[in-house]
Amino acid sequence: MAASAPAAHPKTASRLRELVSNQTFVLFLVWIAMVVFFTAANHIFFSSDVAGNILADWGPLMLVATAETFVIISGGIDLSVGAITGLSGVVAAFAMQDMTTAGQGATLTLIVGLLVCIGVGLLVGLINSLLINYARLVPFIATLVTLGAGEGLSIVFTGGAPIGGGPPQAISLSVPWLGPFSTPVLVVVAITIVCWLYLHKAKFGRYTYAFGSNSFATRAAGISTKKQITKIYMLSGLLSGLAGMFFYLRLGSGAPTTGAGLELDAIAAVVIGGAALSGGVGRLSGTIMGALILTTVTSGLIIIGVAPNWKQVVVAVLIALAVSIQALRRGEGKAS
Amino acid sequence: MTDALYEVRNISKNYGAVTALDNVSMKVRAGEIVGLVGDNGAGKSTLVKCLSGVHQPSSGEILLDGQERHWRSPHDAIQAGIETLYQESGLAPQLSVGANVFLGREEMKPGILGKLGFLAQKSMDARAHADLERVGIAVPSSNRSIAQLSGGQRQAVAIGRAVAWASKIIILDEPTNHLGARQAGEVLHVMRAARDQGLGVIFISHTLPHVLEVTDRIVVLRLGRVVKDAPTSTFDQESLLGTITGLIAD
Amino acid sequence: MYNLTSRRAAGALAVAGAATLLLAACSSSSGSSSSSSAASPAGSAAASSAAAPSAGASGSPAAAGASCPSGTTIAFVMGAEADPFFKAMKVGADAEAQAKGVTLVWQGDPSVYSPATQIPIVDKVLATKPSGLVLIPTDPSALQPANDQAVAAGIPVVNVDTHVNDQSKVTSWITGDNNDGGAKAADALATAIGYQSGKSYQVVVGLTSPTATTNTARLAGFKAQLAAKYPGIKIMDVAYSQSQPSVANTNVSNWLTKYPNLNGIFAIDGTNATGAAAALQAKGLTGKVALVGYDAYPQNVALIKSGVFTALIAQDPAQEAKLAIDDLTQVICGKSTAGIQKAVTIPNVVLDKTTSAADLQKYTYVQ
Repeated sequence: MAASAPAAHPKTASRLRELVSNQTFVLFLVWIAMVVFFTAANHIFFSSDVAGNILADWGPLMLVATAETFVIISGGIDLSVGAITGLSGVVAAFAMQDMTTAGQGATLTLIVGLLVCIGVGLLVGLINSLLINYARLVPFIATLVTLGAGEGLSIVFTGGAPIGGGPPQAISLSVPWLGPFSTPVLVVVAITIVCWLYLHKAKFGRYTYAFGSNSFATRAAGISTKKQITKIYMLSGLLSGLAGMFFYLRLGSGAPTTGAGLELDAIAAVVIGGAALSGGVGRLSGTIMGALILTTVTSGLIIIGVAPNWKQVVVAVLIALAVSIQALRRGEGKAS
Repeated sequence: MTDALYEVRNISKNYGAVTALDNVSMKVRAGEIVGLVGDNGAGKSTLVKCLSGVHQPSSGEILLDGQERHWRSPHDAIQAGIETLYQESGLAPQLSVGANVFLGREEMKPGILGKLGFLAQKSMDARAHADLERVGIAVPSSNRSIAQLSGGQRQAVAIGRAVAWASKIIILDEPTNHLGARQAGEVLHVMRAARDQGLGVIFISHTLPHVLEVTDRIVVLRLGRVVKDAPTSTFDQESLLGTITGLIAD
Repeated sequence: MYNLTSRRAAGALAVAGAATLLLAACSSSSGSSSSSSAASPAGSAAASSAAAPSAGASGSPAAAGASCPSGTTIAFVMGAEADPFFKAMKVGADAEAQAKGVTLVWQGDPSVYSPATQIPIVDKVLATKPSGLVLIPTDPSALQPANDQAVAAGIPVVNVDTHVNDQSKVTSWITGDNNDGGAKAADALATAIGYQSGKSYQVVVGLTSPTATTNTARLAGFKAQLAAKYPGIKIMDVAYSQSQPSVANTNVSNWLTKYPNLNGIFAIDGTNATGAAAALQAKGLTGKVALVGYDAYPQNVALIKSGVFTALIAQDPAQEAKLAIDDLTQVICGKSTAGIQKAVTIPNVVLDKTTSAADLQKYTYVQ
């Protein structure tokens, strides 16, 4: 029963081996390769301006991908993140339009808009968790319901058109000022760090992994899985709502189509980042790289003049490879 | 008769029209190992889930230290000092040994960080290692994930966790399944150590030699009823098997 | 426990990722050239005998006095109720129905533009035996039977915006001229960048999808006008937004980086206009890069004044609806088809800083 600890390796060699087997590091190398490739194809790619463009796409994707990371590690899936992004942006846009028309100041209006986005996100997240906990729907179906309802409501509310008329300062907030970083992007970076700490260092993350790894064991250990599900899906809603505000600041309006299909990009980023849809596995650092790779491909293809539809092909190849690496590793894990 | 530490009286459990447990009574004393045996479908797993708070019986009483208790969840039972090792793995394979030992009882960082929800991982790893050693289980470093351990090592962690946390009762559902002879022997050894610490042990198993070797008393379930409850010394392998299958009259 | 296998797999990921990119790069030229040869729509050659855009008051010949008996009902089956384009159309239809004293029955799927949802709606509407039908067929072939069924039942039909394949039984087809809108966009862009022959200029075009007929018609009109009048203006890039302003924003943001000397942008519909406008503002290039957009969404109309949009090209769905109602009341109540043309195209309207406030309001799509 007792197994001796593995024989000590020379420190540097084992560290190197760890790096190479680390999905995040591999993705980092892939990303570097992409940057080199795009720069070789068009030197203008290697500029702060393009980095700013990439980060402007990365910000909202990272928010929903972070949400999806928690959900997927818990063994669930949240298809409603994109719909929440669109709906919260639209509802906030109406609120900000009203306040601006009524002559309210920009700062107060934007704060209210932010709170509305957070509120809409939390509300839909709560509905998701109620559907899962009490209506006993599996997460796929529960969030498919809210995806449909959310997208539908966005179109009904807006009549299909973007809603502007908010504070004219909105777009200027999205202008990069710290190198390629704009204020919203810096906020996303800060949120990502906090989420990383809570996923990997705190009880909330521990229970998220435990639930995805073995929900029976988690319940048997006396942990309330209903509470944990509620927290996870409300966090997912909250982050998606923040993505809605991010898009509002970027476009100066809330569009009902914003966020359509964003859930697929988020899931792609998480899966490329090394998480398993079966739950219990994944790192937020992998998701960070996954999201960065996706958005780098988007801008890169535009800069080198390739039809952006090729992005889907690149993403498909990356997903297939990321998943097969996982399968290879699992095989090794069993063998050793 | 007296000093029953944990007891169920006349409990029944129905799933719709199906009666899984029918008027079952049994008890375990401190410092006693009770074997719970029965054929597949006899109701062992259902009884275990009632004892551990996963299910609530449809009728009947559960008493701990002579006090009637109602477990609303496993959490209640755990709080009262009852640890259960389930047949379905009670471990989260992707979590580390330390994380599993402390699952549901995490130690928080001191001060504000702890209040914010951050874990004292290093301290938990060290304590998990010490706790497992205390109950006679040596596993490789606590920060390895369960998935990286062999079947025997996993079972050792699960048992070690249950023994380390139990203050009154430990329930082991098929703990020697899929284990080699040497590893099974170690599990039986850990059970004896738990009994010697004064815990009440309930041991559910299909492996009759193990039951006969380690228990003090055996309760036989058949079709949801207790058909026999007698000291282990009154059984041999043949009579036990006969009682389980019903070939020997009750 | 991680041995050579995973290291090799890791390397493979990097190599394959790069290989895919290469593959993508190699085929890029074929990808972009195919879009330039998009067939020019049949509608472009159609007689554009329609009233001038300002002709809202003049109406059609039908105005000549046919009074309708009470109980005259005109059914109007459009594409998708939520679309601001159709909402604006409803305003025109409502006003004209009231003026003519007929009852308007407005029908269509709430949000889906599809024959699958439209055909049952047409069937249901025909069962109520309306006096006339305005139909916006969501598919030229799929709606042909429903269209002909109405005519066979003695219900006159007018097609608006789109049309069925066989128009022999249709009273009239009234549509906006997207091809002409594209040409007007080229004129507006050339004016804004101060086009001088002999010099070269760079523009980009943001589209929504490679197949949307309005997109292809506008792009064809735009290209034809550039070729005819502004040969120095070169289209550097086109990309698709899938109806998402944020995608359009990403496209335009990167183009602005890629082409530091970019002169102008043609945003071919409302979502592209929104995304491009935000990109120009964020990069501080308002007024430095000309932006001609499409569709008069209220928030984009507001950006004409601040100079973000050089011009917006708008359709006039209200006018299309008005003409359709006029034609039908003439046929139903006046029992005459005199003066009704088989095909009418209404030119698109250019909105810019010189447009009067009243006209801006008139053409802004209703929400």
